[in-house]
Amino acid sequence: MNLQRLRDELAIAWTVAVKDVRVYYLTPGMIMFGFLMPFLMFFSISTGRGISAAQGVTRLLAMTLLFTAAAAGPFVIPMERRLGTYDRLLAAPMSLTTLLLSKTAMGTFFAVLVAMVSILAGVLVFGVQIARPWLLLVSVLLGSFVFSALGLIFGSIPTRNPGNVQMPSTILRWALLFISGVFVPLDKMAPVARAVAYLSPLTYAQDLMSHAVVGQGVLSLWLDLGVLLLMGVLFLWPSFRLHQRGRVLGY
Amino acid sequence: MKNTIEVENLTKYYDKFLAVDHINFTVKQGEIFGFLGPNGAGKTTTQRMLTTLLTPSEGTIRILGHDLRSEAWEAKRQIGLVPEESNVYTELTAWDNLMFTASLYRVPRAEHAARAQELLETFGLWEKRDLKVENFSKGMRRRMSIAMAIIHKPALLFLDEPTPGLDAQSIRFIWELIRRMNAEGTTIFLSTHQIEEANQLCERVAIISHGKIAAIDTPERLKASFRRAQSVEAALEPEEAGNGPGLAALPGVTTQVKVGDKWRLYTEDPSALLPRVVHYAEERDLRLISLNTLGPSLEDVFLEITGGQVGVVQNSVDASEFDKQQKMRGKR
Repeated sequence: MNLQRLRDELAIAWTVAVKDVRVYYLTPGMIMFGFLMPFLMFFSISTGRGISAAQGVTRLLAMTLLFTAAAAGPFVIPMERRLGTYDRLLAAPMSLTTLLLSKTAMGTFFAVLVAMVSILAGVLVFGVQIARPWLLLVSVLLGSFVFSALGLIFGSIPTRNPGNVQMPSTILRWALLFISGVFVPLDKMAPVARAVAYLSPLTYAQDLMSHAVVGQGVLSLWLDLGVLLLMGVLFLWPSFRLHQRGRVLGY
Repeated sequence: MKNTIEVENLTKYYDKFLAVDHINFTVKQGEIFGFLGPNGAGKTTTQRMLTTLLTPSEGTIRILGHDLRSEAWEAKRQIGLVPEESNVYTELTAWDNLMFTASLYRVPRAEHAARAQELLETFGLWEKRDLKVENFSKGMRRRMSIAMAIIHKPALLFLDEPTPGLDAQSIRFIWELIRRMNAEGTTIFLSTHQIEEANQLCERVAIISHGKIAAIDTPERLKASFRRAQSVEAALEPEEAGNGPGLAALPGVTTQVKVGDKWRLYTEDPSALLPRVVHYAEERDLRLISLNTLGPSLEDVFLEITGGQVGVVQNSVDASEFDKQQKMRGKR
């Protein structure tokens, strides 16, 4: 790929992501699944548990990133398929990789935006001191990217009905929530439960948030960063394959 | 003359269903090419493969010299696509839709506003530029969809059923636009099942039936090749129920169809049929209000090819035998 094309593709990915933000952010589905759900869930589960404000912020951030970033793909892509606007993107001069990156970027933006609300609430309302602000920024961006890529897998399933993919993607997110040390700290889990938790990206995201907000985590900081980065890239692969399958099937 | 589209052995299976069956055709540069076929014949599947939306099972497609398997990006930059359903972002304004598409096709930023204004004025939407498209009528959305497809001045424009459901004014506007774009050098690939649209606009048409190309030629040559679809049209007074079978029994008539207050009699030899119709009227003391010969229409050709049964031989009366009987009656 020459430099001019690379520049064009990046510019197009940005254009598509910005359009998605404008068109889809304030739709009821996105608000309900991406914004309200993590907040309501957090308050309903954490109230009365006696956790510190800093711990609360790390958990809220991890949940917010998971639910918000992963909500965009399963909602937006099938919706666009149904309206025919997805064909406009597929016919435009960009590669499938660019299109998938633009959709991942949209979920990432959305999650970062909502995460800012959580962080501001923690700092301004509960007086939380952020131990490593620069790491928090990296953590939010990386976590958003990973969960957005995860959501994209569901969005890439060839269907024109968002309901067909929103249900399984929501179930997966709930499952990840309960196995990932958000409610039961990793160091207090039974060995089997901990082994399962290591499979979940949320485990590493939650631990990374602890490193950033509290200043320490259960796992190594570099392990958290490395695993999340690897998972983010790996999650793009099934999306790519599913999109290719969609083009064979006519979606 | 260069070919803008070259299709070789293009095939598409949906699982085991063969939707497009090893088709071959070319579209010349600067041509308006009609792709005709009944619903389910493979028109949209073919167009979706030509615009990279669908992966072919077999075959090759070259668009403006670029093989779509290896150089899709280069081809897509020069293609405009107007799909059957208007795919406009209804949550955005008309202006924002055009700005988005201009960015998508990397139109130089300095030209965005000028092109958008020109298109909105051309399409009669300038006054509504700041309205969200969700407030637009079907015809206005269609115009928006076309405007978005041509903002980057494509060398090749695909239109899939551009006019069904639109009022006469919108149809006329779209036809004029297609002609104007073609005159300015854009090659047009028009997929339609509206025969008159193809007849009015296209220099050549391909007729696809059951996934195969059944015919490709100019509309006039296709019509000329279907002698059976020539006809004589007669209006008789008083119009009686018995006229139908009576006229159908005339020698040389392959099919008769009631068209309003007239009878259309399909024949391979209109000049021989004319005196028989006159004689039929005289014999029964009927007044001939009108009597015309008609060449085959593109619709006749289309129906014939796609199994619509126009011009099928139904009448087995031998013409020479009939004429002999008339002469005998005359002698009496």
